[in-house]
Amino acid sequence: MKLFSLIPVLAIGALLLWAGQDFPKWGDLASPASKSSVSSHFIAKTGVDTEVPNMVTAVLADYRGFDTMFETVVVFIAGTAVIAILRGSSIGRPRRKDHEVEAEPDLIVTNTVRLIVPVIQIFAFYVLAHGHVSPGGGFQGGVLMGASFILIALSWDLEKAMARFPIERCLFVAAMGIVLYGGIGLLSMLLGGEFLDYAELEKIFPVSRGMARYYAILGVEIGVGFTVASIMFVLYANLASEGRLKEGL
Amino acid sequence: MENSIAWIFIFPLFGSAFVALSRYVNIKLAYPISVLSMAGAFWAGVETLQQAVASPNHEISYLLGGWTLDLYPRGVGIEFRADILASLIALIVLGVGLLVTIYSKIHVEKETRNKEAIYYSLMLLQITGLAGICLTGDAFNLYVLIEVAALTGYGLIAMGSNRAAAASYNYLILGTIGASLYLLGVGYLYIKTGTLNMVGIREVIETHGLAGSQTMQVAFVLIGVGILIKMAFFPFHAWLPHAYCNAPTTTSCLLAPLVTKVMIYVMIRMILSVFGVEFSFESTIWVSWMPWLVVIAIVCAAFLALSQREIKRMLAYLIVAEVGYMVGGVWIYNYYGLIGSIFHIISDACMTLCLFLGAGIILHKCKTTHFDGIRGLFSKMPLTVTGFFVGGFSIIGLPPTCGFFSKWYLITGGMVSGRWEYLVVLMFSTMVMVILFFRLIERIHLAVDESGKNLGHGHGDLGLSNEQTRFDEAPLVMLIPLLVAASTVLLIGVYNQEVVNQIETFLQAYDMPTGVVYK
Repeated sequence: MKLFSLIPVLAIGALLLWAGQDFPKWGDLASPASKSSVSSHFIAKTGVDTEVPNMVTAVLADYRGFDTMFETVVVFIAGTAVIAILRGSSIGRPRRKDHEVEAEPDLIVTNTVRLIVPVIQIFAFYVLAHGHVSPGGGFQGGVLMGASFILIALSWDLEKAMARFPIERCLFVAAMGIVLYGGIGLLSMLLGGEFLDYAELEKIFPVSRGMARYYAILGVEIGVGFTVASIMFVLYANLASEGRLKEGL
Repeated sequence: MENSIAWIFIFPLFGSAFVALSRYVNIKLAYPISVLSMAGAFWAGVETLQQAVASPNHEISYLLGGWTLDLYPRGVGIEFRADILASLIALIVLGVGLLVTIYSKIHVEKETRNKEAIYYSLMLLQITGLAGICLTGDAFNLYVLIEVAALTGYGLIAMGSNRAAAASYNYLILGTIGASLYLLGVGYLYIKTGTLNMVGIREVIETHGLAGSQTMQVAFVLIGVGILIKMAFFPFHAWLPHAYCNAPTTTSCLLAPLVTKVMIYVMIRMILSVFGVEFSFESTIWVSWMPWLVVIAIVCAAFLALSQREIKRMLAYLIVAEVGYMVGGVWIYNYYGLIGSIFHIISDACMTLCLFLGAGIILHKCKTTHFDGIRGLFSKMPLTVTGFFVGGFSIIGLPPTCGFFSKWYLITGGMVSGRWEYLVVLMFSTMVMVILFFRLIERIHLAVDESGKNLGHGHGDLGLSNEQTRFDEAPLVMLIPLLVAASTVLLIGVYNQEVVNQIETFLQAYDMPTGVVYK
């Protein structure tokens, strides 16, 4: 059977290699992709259009902001789907206790975590807010924030983490993240532009068109951060406790 | 309305967020919010179709974020393009979504207790994804929306019976492989053309003569195979029957008419808008062997359907056969075949909806959809059964229903292009479907109950038998969507010329041959 499954793998591998012969040369100016005005527009105009120094952030949250909105929705779907599948699925089934060790939370671990969790959370806000200039943004900041709660759950237990970020509130925050992202898009549409045309926000905020985009990018990144942070924790809490939301790992 | 194309996804997107939030207020709000947002989206869909038909070049372009289209190749921002085909299929998606949402009330309360908010939230996002797939004009955005539709689908299926999670896992593995192949293909397109806009890609291919490029050939294969996996084309169909049979009833009602059909739309979109007719049919070898794969697919699916003893499972295999019809209609490389394919997407969505809504009601009332459990059902639920069989007759292809007209064009295409194998297999599978449905009619209409008393009317009066309508018919909230779906099947059949006119207007822009091309 393993040999059999090797056949499609080799076939597709060969196909991909064969296709690779025809790739444009590295830095080939004559290839259509290099002549494409799309990339050169990003390089030349990002700073003018959006005032954002980090080109990646501008492409992600503005030029292709619609994709990013649905990527956020995908994260949200992942969380809700896990809740949908796991919640109530393990009623009546005894919990497997294979890997469990009965022990008090370790003194060294808990004290270290006590020290680093606030740092992680501040760093998460920094990464989120500084995404305009340096690598970062809503997804990375959200993951850091979610990880800080997972760290609490790992070093104490799930209840301790859920006392700080109740799982019921997670879904609320996640949905609010989507509403925030979509709401900024909808607001710019109601102000007379197209959906997600942040520049129209200049009509209600006293800033230039470029700066309107700059701040709107921050706004949608915060929305992404909301969703990602809470869904990270939802995923961990549900998977670790098989949907019971008690005990956990 | 100016922004109607944006309202199509704004309504269900915000609807789903509000539905998810409704559990903090009152979970009873989930259903009305879902129905209202779907109604709004459907209205926006109608507006969009009207605008697309009325506009001079029969398409409207919507620039998300307001970025320019002036550059060459275009594609700085993301573009939504609603030509007649896109808005027609999007309207079908939204219509089916609206009907299924209305229909879902009782099933969702019963089958997914305490999870209604999550269920409706996923359902609305599923419709958002599918409608977005139809309208988007950007190859990568299409991938993102495919992911939205697929992930919600996995969640919606896994909420079903005990075996649903395993079925959903199968679907997840195959679906992910399909989507990954598609994404890889889009990557290859991007490295050669430098844009992700569908029309932009085609312009670059045509001006730079990239048809012979190995990279483009492989991109075509990757995208093509990825989509074939996603649409459950025969060798890749294994996930579909299990997923649709074990899913909650409403899920199968929503996914069965839409998912495979929308993926066929994606295939047509890729051929016409991204690669172009000339590249797809003349520069690749798919034309020569795809119809033969279609023949194998239809024959196998027909036999598999014939061997089932349970309505839902039989319908699932019928979908696999229908996918074969539509794929064949595209790959016989003919104008009429393509009209038939597009028309069949529309009519198949409507008739599959009829059948699955009917099967769902039967499941609700009889607790089973096994052939043995439905004897004499006509005297109990005449309207349900009539609605169900309108769908069934349309699958067979009986004249007043839309299935007849779409199949007519498919057969014409097969004849005109000289692909006789396709023609023969269409005839063969039609006969199999006659057997399938008349076997059901025999059980449902002509049955005798245990005491030996004949309950059925048998001949003729499939319509309004007055006293018996009141006799234990399904609740109105389920019955009305079914009857609307059934009358849509008949209406599209009666007004088929209107639909075909629109499809022909759309195809004017593309150069499809009307005669024999394949040697």
